[in-house]
Amino acid sequence: MRLYSLSVLYKGDPKVHLLKAAYDVSTFNFFQRSSVQEFMTFTSQLIVERSELGSRASVKEQEYLCHVYVRNDGLAGVVIADNEYPQRVCFTLLDKVLDEFSRQVSKIDWPSGSPATISYAALDGYLSKFQNPRDADPMTRVQAELDETKIILVRR
Amino acid sequence: DEIGLIPCPEARYNRSPIVLVENKLGVESWCVKFLLPYVHNKLLLYRQRKQWLNKDELIDITCTLLLLNSDFTTAWNVRKELILSGTLNPLKDLHLGKLALTKFPKSPETWIHRRWVLQQLIQENSLPSLVTKGNLGAAPVERIHRLVQEEMNVCSEAAGRYPSNYNAWSHRIWVLQHLGKLTVKVLLDELSSTKYWVSVHVSDHSGFHYRQFLLKSLIGRTVTDNNVLVQNQMVNEQNPSLQKEEEGAGAEAACADEQSVDLPRRLEEELELCTELIDTYPGHETLWCHSDETLNNAHHSPATSHMAQVMDVDGLNESSSKQGYTQETKRLKRAPMQDSLGPEMEYRFIDKVLSTCRDADQARFATAYRKWLVTFLGQ
Repeated sequence: MRLYSLSVLYKGDPKVHLLKAAYDVSTFNFFQRSSVQEFMTFTSQLIVERSELGSRASVKEQEYLCHVYVRNDGLAGVVIADNEYPQRVCFTLLDKVLDEFSRQVSKIDWPSGSPATISYAALDGYLSKFQNPRDADPMTRVQAELDETKIILVRR
Repeated sequence: DEIGLIPCPEARYNRSPIVLVENKLGVESWCVKFLLPYVHNKLLLYRQRKQWLNKDELIDITCTLLLLNSDFTTAWNVRKELILSGTLNPLKDLHLGKLALTKFPKSPETWIHRRWVLQQLIQENSLPSLVTKGNLGAAPVERIHRLVQEEMNVCSEAAGRYPSNYNAWSHRIWVLQHLGKLTVKVLLDELSSTKYWVSVHVSDHSGFHYRQFLLKSLIGRTVTDNNVLVQNQMVNEQNPSLQKEEEGAGAEAACADEQSVDLPRRLEEELELCTELIDTYPGHETLWCHSDETLNNAHHSPATSHMAQVMDVDGLNESSSKQGYTQETKRLKRAPMQDSLGPEMEYRFIDKVLSTCRDADQARFATAYRKWLVTFLGQ
């Protein structure tokens, strides 16, 4: 089970743009890595565009699962994982990351930000730490509020 | 250490399509449609005796062909001929195969050829001329051990590159059977080294099937060793004068092996692993199947009944009086290991899962598992 990318975006009106992202493409064939990364950036953006404010969803794209959380204030996060990685842990991760991001990066910077201008460096660390869901999140099962939220599984 | 295809539909610059970066070899895709037919054709002409190729050319051409299409049997066969004629070092083919598998992790022909090469190497091993050939230079046992380790690595890599890579895992089993001789040590080592892997590939059915193979082999091993023990004991009974001699190598070795494999404990651990994974990662059918199989093995394992037999014979030897015998049989009738792997534990687990899980698939698997338990165990 594997996590491939973790990104923070802003769902502006009308455009979505990427604020910060981390990738782990080490399990891919060496020469495929850059195109896989491009694919993930593009897909993350597309998914946020198609998601409503205040929603969570898990979208299946080829053999990957893209978990997206768009907050009411427009801040959004996407985790791209394989189909073995537990869904609940992904949403825990997204909650945590967006929460921390919103405290460290001021709201004014979101609509115009880009990876170059935003200073938030924790994504790589989170991506690496959460590769093993059991180490990273021992409280996986206690997710009462999460289960009340509607999670849509969209198969394409 | 790795090969790959670079998606590049057109040649934009006038330069070589071969790219070497960080010890990884890449080929730009546009050149494949020129290169592949060219080398393919050359090899076929050679085979049809229409055009001669010398040994070096053959080695190069087959190498290129196989890195572009590793299922090309003829190319592998040409290399077999080169190995048999002594022109090509078989270890080179192990390396070539390993490289090909980074791009084609399932390739059946690559695995088949690999087994052929390994068989050649084993045969060589039994010839005294090996030492002078100096392929690896180490003692035969050490050499085999290193080969086995390397094969385990190659299989593991290939298994990681493609989900449920049946070909890789079957090869792994073959290596243990033919090179590893299914010793207890090898089986136990493999059990512990694959434990983490299966925990992070919870829907890889082939990985778990491999663990079933390891456990079944251990059971088979224990039975064989126990049989030796029982036979020795029976001989002792009939010929008390020989008893001291019998306490030599045979019985002791069997004893030692048997002691190092606490079989019921192993099966229990496997079931624990399953339970833990099922709890942590709901909704993976593979894990439930593995549970089925492990319980199946535990219940039907002839080892449990054979162990009882051994204990029985021990009892007879230790005390000659009938009273002593009765005590011994009472002891073994309790059969402690069957209790610890009992179905009651499994029923409790299922109930817990059904009452706490929210995953529809998980509930379905748990219900099916319970039905299976009821029919299978008749309880």
